[in-house]
Amino acid sequence: MMRRISEYFISILVIIFSSLLHINGQDTITFPLKINVGIEVIGPVNYLVEKNTFSAEGYISADLNEKLSAVLAGGYLNYDYSQYNYTYLNKGIFFRVGADFNLLKPKKSLGKYWGGIGLRYGLSRYTSEVPSFSQNNYWGEAVSLIPAKTSWGHFIEASPGMRAEIFRNFSMGWAISLRMLIYSGGSKDLRPIYFPGFGNATKRFSSGFSYFIVWNIPYKKIRVIIEKEEPEEADETEDTEGIRNSEDTRTPANRQQSPGNDFR
Amino acid sequence: MRKFIPGNLIVILTGFILFLHSCSLGSCFEETESLVKATFYNMETGKTLAPDSLTVYGLDNDTTKIYNKTAKLLKAKFPLNAADTSCIFIIRINGITDTMKFSYNSYPHLLSKECGYTFYYTLDTDSHTTNEIDSISITKNAITTYDEENIRIFY
Repeated sequence: MMRRISEYFISILVIIFSSLLHINGQDTITFPLKINVGIEVIGPVNYLVEKNTFSAEGYISADLNEKLSAVLAGGYLNYDYSQYNYTYLNKGIFFRVGADFNLLKPKKSLGKYWGGIGLRYGLSRYTSEVPSFSQNNYWGEAVSLIPAKTSWGHFIEASPGMRAEIFRNFSMGWAISLRMLIYSGGSKDLRPIYFPGFGNATKRFSSGFSYFIVWNIPYKKIRVIIEKEEPEEADETEDTEGIRNSEDTRTPANRQQSPGNDFR
Repeated sequence: MRKFIPGNLIVILTGFILFLHSCSLGSCFEETESLVKATFYNMETGKTLAPDSLTVYGLDNDTTKIYNKTAKLLKAKFPLNAADTSCIFIIRINGITDTMKFSYNSYPHLLSKECGYTFYYTLDTDSHTTNEIDSISITKNAITTYDEENIRIFY
């Protein structure tokens, strides 16, 4: 009796396991999950050219699955800006936390290509100062200054972009950052002109462009179900070929990438 | 075509193109000076009335006139001295001279990154002689770059 019950349960487990392997007859691919460590390169290059603003930024992200990554970014800014009647200084750090969503199909990205959008919340702590500003009018020139003040800024960001592997475990890519200011940390009259992580804070929205070099560290492989490609409508003369394709649509390459022993 | 242009090269090149397009220069097109905006009124009818002739200049600054026998000007603008807390104007309406004194506090205000900082003022009191001017009322004591009436001059 006990033996029959055991056989029964084992049979059920085998059925469930095999159904997981072939849900609705779909194919799977092996997808590497990675920890990504990236540094932004435009900021340092700009500093070499312009010498007045230094910014450094980097991030670390961990792939949670083939579509979603958790991201933590941080950076530093030393901003020095002069116009015809004023000088503005801002120095501080920022953090961004959020997620990256890969919109490429797993079969296309294969862990090497990323094309999607990142969503972040940003927090900045900075010290801003206007060492001098002047105004000329009918009465002559009036000169004043705004002393240094430390503040916190908050913002949210959407950053669509692309990345591609250029060498094994190294990739390059860019992202456009579209940011919305939540709170600048300044008063109505003395908003910061520019603060770390956000950029031009005189407007509610700011944008930026980043170019990243990324070190990708694979830490795990998962099996990802890919959508079964519908067989193209075959001519009557190709009916037998169509029937064969519907039994197994995987390409030889895919079949090679699907060893059963690394199933998550 | 795809065979000759690898995907990763497309990613790198599109990035460079976007970066080049992101460079832009800014210019200032805003009003940058905060002025006291005054409107002239007829003291008998209470309606707006432009003087036939208006001359305005600062005390001890008569070589440079703000208005010099300007005809039919309904709204006049008075610049304040940010380096001081009051300033005095000589105002000649239809050939009759009066003196106006404004007392105020000034504070810096950011206009924009392109235009930089300016001074805003809070108008505290005004005083004047009564040769031609009957009275002056403050309608809005925040003196900013916005085009809004601050005082009414009844004459």
